[in-house]
Amino acid sequence: MGTDDTLSILVVDDNPLNVKLLETTLIKEGYSIHKAFNGPDARKIAEEKKPDLILLDIQMPGESGFDVIKILKGNGSTASIPVIFLTGVSEIDAKLEGFELGAVDYITKPFHPLEVSARARLHLKLSIATNSLIRSQADKLKQISEAQSAMLTTPDKHPAAKFAVNYLSLHEAGGDFYEVLPISDEIFGYFVADFSGHDISTSYLTSSVKGLLKQNCSPIYQPLESIKMINDVLVEILPAGKYLTAAYARLNRKTKQMKIISAGHPPVCYVPVEGEPRILDMDGDVIGIFKNVLFGQQTMQVNSGDRFYMYTDGLIESSDKKIVWSEGAGRMLAACIEARDVPLVEAPVHITQNLHPDTSALEDDIVILAIEV
Amino acid sequence: MDLKALGENLGLEKDEFVEIVEIFLETAYADVEKLAAANDAQDAKAASEAAHSLKGSAGNLGFMDIAGLSGKLESAARHNDISSIAEAIPELNAMLNLIKDAV
Repeated sequence: MGTDDTLSILVVDDNPLNVKLLETTLIKEGYSIHKAFNGPDARKIAEEKKPDLILLDIQMPGESGFDVIKILKGNGSTASIPVIFLTGVSEIDAKLEGFELGAVDYITKPFHPLEVSARARLHLKLSIATNSLIRSQADKLKQISEAQSAMLTTPDKHPAAKFAVNYLSLHEAGGDFYEVLPISDEIFGYFVADFSGHDISTSYLTSSVKGLLKQNCSPIYQPLESIKMINDVLVEILPAGKYLTAAYARLNRKTKQMKIISAGHPPVCYVPVEGEPRILDMDGDVIGIFKNVLFGQQTMQVNSGDRFYMYTDGLIESSDKKIVWSEGAGRMLAACIEARDVPLVEAPVHITQNLHPDTSALEDDIVILAIEV
Repeated sequence: MDLKALGENLGLEKDEFVEIVEIFLETAYADVEKLAAANDAQDAKAASEAAHSLKGSAGNLGFMDIAGLSGKLESAARHNDISSIAEAIPELNAMLNLIKDAV
């Protein structure tokens, strides 16, 4: 992987049209792209940038794709990078030679960009899975302890994520937490969750979940896959009876697409610039109890200025006043609509004060996270 | 010509597709020129390479009429038959001009 967490792909083809077509498609998926138009440049870039995947044309003037892969596979620093061949040659011999030389797959031209994108995703997944098997257990522990020391993410750390948050923790080992994950320049993941119980194990588990989010929220996994993978790990490690409710939103500002996953969590409120504000109510199992889970999922096209509010149940439930979700979510939506013209940075606090004029009377932790498209 | 629909088939927005079509036109006109030069020089190998390049880029973007015609020229040229190139060139240019007008 490159210097940051963005997955990178090297596209090699002597035809500038193919390079542009692949670049346009793959950038939208959140990958960063390196380009080469001939074999020698491809080898140089592969060595310097260590891309996560290489798409390599076979028929190029001068050094062919076969020549390039031979050299890459013979070089320790580039040998493990998966290579997919692009080939106009439909003869079986050429395909077999490609596999023989170490290619993981081939794509026949003319190719469909979305097929290339699907295959790229598949091979990145395989490559990551293989790498994580090889990585030692100690390495994993190190990741967890690093995550433990990580502070809560603040909006100034990721200005491009355009979010604001109000986080009130009543207990030292609070059960509520949130995370904002940069997936690429234009794609961010937003996670709000609530652990059952407030015992001391909760803060340790929160760190583990943050580590898992970091590992599993990337361009190659759909949001539903990310949350399912996190669930599968937590089923193994959570103490009996301990579980997590969560909402995960992934916003692609380039394609203006929002995907929301609900895992037994209070529904996200959606306040569009135009159109009717609404509660995004979805059924979904909680995380960490069942191996076979069904999470609620919703995909929607959004517009600049639209707002989403994710929050935990402390904001809308009250055992004193006997208010539960169904009623509370309606009050929440009304408060979000009321905050429509309040600047984003002030909206979470504004809404909290609207719902709980006296915060000293709070019975539970509160997280409210506001996102603006 | 519905560039929006062609772009959507490839999962691209219209403006992204138009940008790519502009690159296509540049390389495609150049391929047709190479084809004409190969025909003048009676060079079947050069003709087959130019037709191959045109077939590939047209096919990728969904311009199937151009891909089909250049595919025929390519396979004929591979068999040392370049007799149909002269009459195909104005036809290819006309098809490219249609795309150019749509952009």
